[in-house]
Amino acid sequence: MVAEVTIAMAVETPSKPTIADKIYDKLFHNYVWKSVFRTGYPNTPRNQMLVIATNVFLHLHPTRIHRTHVKITHTYCLGGLSFFMFLGLTVTGILLMFYYVPSVERAYLDMQNIQTTVQFGQLMRNMHRWMAHAMVILVFLHMMRVFYTGAYKPPREFNWVVGVILLVLTFLLSFTGYLLPWDQLAFWAITVGTNIAGSAPVLGPKTRFWLLGGFEVGPDSLIRFYTLHVIGLPLLAAIFMAVHFWRIRRDGGLARPL
Amino acid sequence: MATAVVARPVARPQSRNRDEEVLVWPDLVFIEFIAAMVFTITLFALSALMNAPLLDQANADVTPNPSKAPWYLLNLQELLLHMNAGMAGVIVPTIWLVIMGAFPYFDRDHEGQGVWFGTEGAVRLTVVGSLVGFIGTWGLILWDSGKIAFFLNDWFGLSGGDTFRFLENVRSIQNQLPWPEWSRSITYLPFNLKILDQGFQHLDFPAWLVEQGIPTAVLVGLPALMIYAMWKLGWVVTRRDALIALFSGFIAAYGVLTLTGTAFRGQGQELVFPWELKVSEGIPGQE
Ligand code: HEM
Repeated sequence: MVAEVTIAMAVETPSKPTIADKIYDKLFHNYVWKSVFRTGYPNTPRNQMLVIATNVFLHLHPTRIHRTHVKITHTYCLGGLSFFMFLGLTVTGILLMFYYVPSVERAYLDMQNIQTTVQFGQLMRNMHRWMAHAMVILVFLHMMRVFYTGAYKPPREFNWVVGVILLVLTFLLSFTGYLLPWDQLAFWAITVGTNIAGSAPVLGPKTRFWLLGGFEVGPDSLIRFYTLHVIGLPLLAAIFMAVHFWRIRRDGGLARPL
Repeated sequence: MATAVVARPVARPQSRNRDEEVLVWPDLVFIEFIAAMVFTITLFALSALMNAPLLDQANADVTPNPSKAPWYLLNLQELLLHMNAGMAGVIVPTIWLVIMGAFPYFDRDHEGQGVWFGTEGAVRLTVVGSLVGFIGTWGLILWDSGKIAFFLNDWFGLSGGDTFRFLENVRSIQNQLPWPEWSRSITYLPFNLKILDQGFQHLDFPAWLVEQGIPTAVLVGLPALMIYAMWKLGWVVTRRDALIALFSGFIAAYGVLTLTGTAFRGQGQELVFPWELKVSEGIPGQE
């Protein structure tokens, strides 16, 4: 009888806080931390849900999702990685903007300077270029995964359409960036590319003229492509991505068998 | 009121099954973090090892041969070699994007949703559809570049002589057949319809046939034929089946076109092997 009581009491008495507990308390339960994050460190189910629900970035997610969707082989993270590339391109792109002036006199020299005299300039340029290629590939693969998992079916019809628009925007973003180095590769690729657009019946020549600001690739084309590349298209893409993500939540998360 | 709700069941999100759910923190956030790290590290490594290209400064007077669009547009540049430019560069891709956007409105049932290859025979349709797209696209490219006639002649000593010269590639249908003179200028409008810059009044039938007629027939006909054959075989039953075959064929064709445009097109857009690829920069007409 006596033994039983002691055991029960031993279980109910909280153990003495260890050093780790004290540090944890100091770090996560102080006035400043709580003013920023509201919840403590997400180590209990309650806090884990709160951290998702109260953080503006994490709040893109629901607090809980279906088991099958955390399996890597379901999405291969392709949509998420496309978005991650977009973020990385924004960061490296802003860094490049500090040094690049979109004028025919300066563009090419600025590229050379970025590569030779700017600290980490070559690295930033490389990152921006390879991420752009990666994004095109990832978005395309993401589309394939969505197709082969039948995830465009109702109620996700419209989100598939938004996706197709995002695919086009991704191509356009990459295409407009291609001209900016103002080297032979850029110049002739854009010449060929805009000739393709210009070959459309009826509207083609006008579209080409509107894109290039003239009959051939020149100073006006550079400023047009630059403006589209650094603000116009990213803004559009961001808007469509916001719709895309919002719709995923509204349509009840990712698709699964009924 | 109630009927209005019932009539649109598509808009209803799926019901949740709470005991099948896991917490996003940590289960999903952890995976996302790892994926992001893997990509960050890989891209840093790649960027450290490989520099982005920067050639000579742009010069409108020096045309590289071949001049190529960015790689993801080379599929269109490849198409351009085989048909009317406006068709290859704008009309075909636009129509395809619209068709693809319309997929969910064509295939509306829920079967196989949310599972990889979730319908019966989906893998077979994917494999066969891709094969048809792959072989068909390569076959057409080889034919239209005159390589098939060349192989038949050089390797097997089979020559059609002048009688079959018109089959050498698509253009030879226009050049090697005895088209009557009138067919090269058929007046189909009593006035010259000027839309923007071009005038429309006369039709060069052989040119039209080669640049638009045959390409359209091939682009519409071959996929349709494939799906019809699969339907006869009993492989394609539902709309989803048809879309799987079509989409897989597209992916393969898209891949072949991109690859050909990137790695197999040399100077003057001649079909060459990748190791024979070189770019010369010269004044136009003096290479
Ligand atoms: C910039 C381009 C894009 C971004 C950043 C993006 C992002 C995402 C993300 C993060 C998801 C969540 C699941 C996942 O990661 O697979 C998703 C799902 C989805 N995406 Fe995209 N996406 C893009 C382009 C596309 C394209 C090109 C399509 C199709 C043509 C598409 C159609 C869909 C659909 C239908 C879903 C829901 C999938 C499901 O319920 O399983 N998206 N997207």
